[in-house]
Amino acid sequence: MSASKPVRRRFHEGTTIADLKAYMEPFVASLGYRLNTETEFVDEVLASEIEILEATGDVYCPCRVRTGDPKEDVRIVCPCIPFHAEQFAAMRKCWCGLFIRADVVDGADLLGVIEEPEAGTEVDVPVCRVADLPAGSIRHIKIGKSDIALARVGDEFYALSNVCRHAFAPLADGVLEGHEVMCPWHGWRYDVRTGHTDHPGADVKTYPVTVRDGEVLVSVTVR
Amino acid sequence: MSVMLYALSTCPYCRMAKKYLDESDVAYDILEVDLLEGAEKDDAVARVKELSGGTSFPVIVVGEEVIVGFNKKRMKELLGL
Repeated sequence: MSASKPVRRRFHEGTTIADLKAYMEPFVASLGYRLNTETEFVDEVLASEIEILEATGDVYCPCRVRTGDPKEDVRIVCPCIPFHAEQFAAMRKCWCGLFIRADVVDGADLLGVIEEPEAGTEVDVPVCRVADLPAGSIRHIKIGKSDIALARVGDEFYALSNVCRHAFAPLADGVLEGHEVMCPWHGWRYDVRTGHTDHPGADVKTYPVTVRDGEVLVSVTVR
Repeated sequence: MSVMLYALSTCPYCRMAKKYLDESDVAYDILEVDLLEGAEKDDAVARVKELSGGTSFPVIVVGEEVIVGFNKKRMKELLGL
């Protein structure tokens, strides 16, 4: 492994713990997380991240090692929730516990508890807030390695594979008409409820969706 | 029984694990992987990956058993504390 090129600094000189909190909080909220309730612990983690920032130019997770391979290292830039969505949803926190799921009352209960889900476990992964997806629209979400199209018809949400079986086009770029999404490339139609298409043998996978406390969760199997 | 703690100098859980071992009077070796350089670091990262299947810390090796993360319960069991 050779050393990677220096990363362009992402934060201004003299970045503080308060700066990092202000920057991270809004978008971890949209992922269904918030800062741990253990404020001393949060400050300890963020102080470590600032040390790492000074040394490397970016805020890498203090509990995971940088290998020098940029493709691997980008997966541990804080918040690393999108790269580990299933594991963290099951653990109800990110690896180091800086962030906890929004509905966890006491983050102290999760400090140090490491129970990574086994392969094959079903996990409800938060993907967005109900208000983020207007009725009649469809958008792409990524959970781990799965590319998923999330559709909203009225107040119902549906999740199906984002990849059209014809020419592998992204279905979330297509047009949603009622319960049918039309592929943007050649017009194949899929029922978002069942993944069914009229083309024999070309149905796509669907995923169970639940809505809880204004949050949309897609159920996936941990691989 | 040999106890090895693979740690990062920046990681709060590694500090917790170290403190727990110290307070429990357990003899152990520690390797702070992020403080290594060059081939030595690459070797240590490769070893951690082989042991734990990832690059998350701490990795605590008790005899033949491997604990990933600061899992106090598991440490207690394996160390007979």
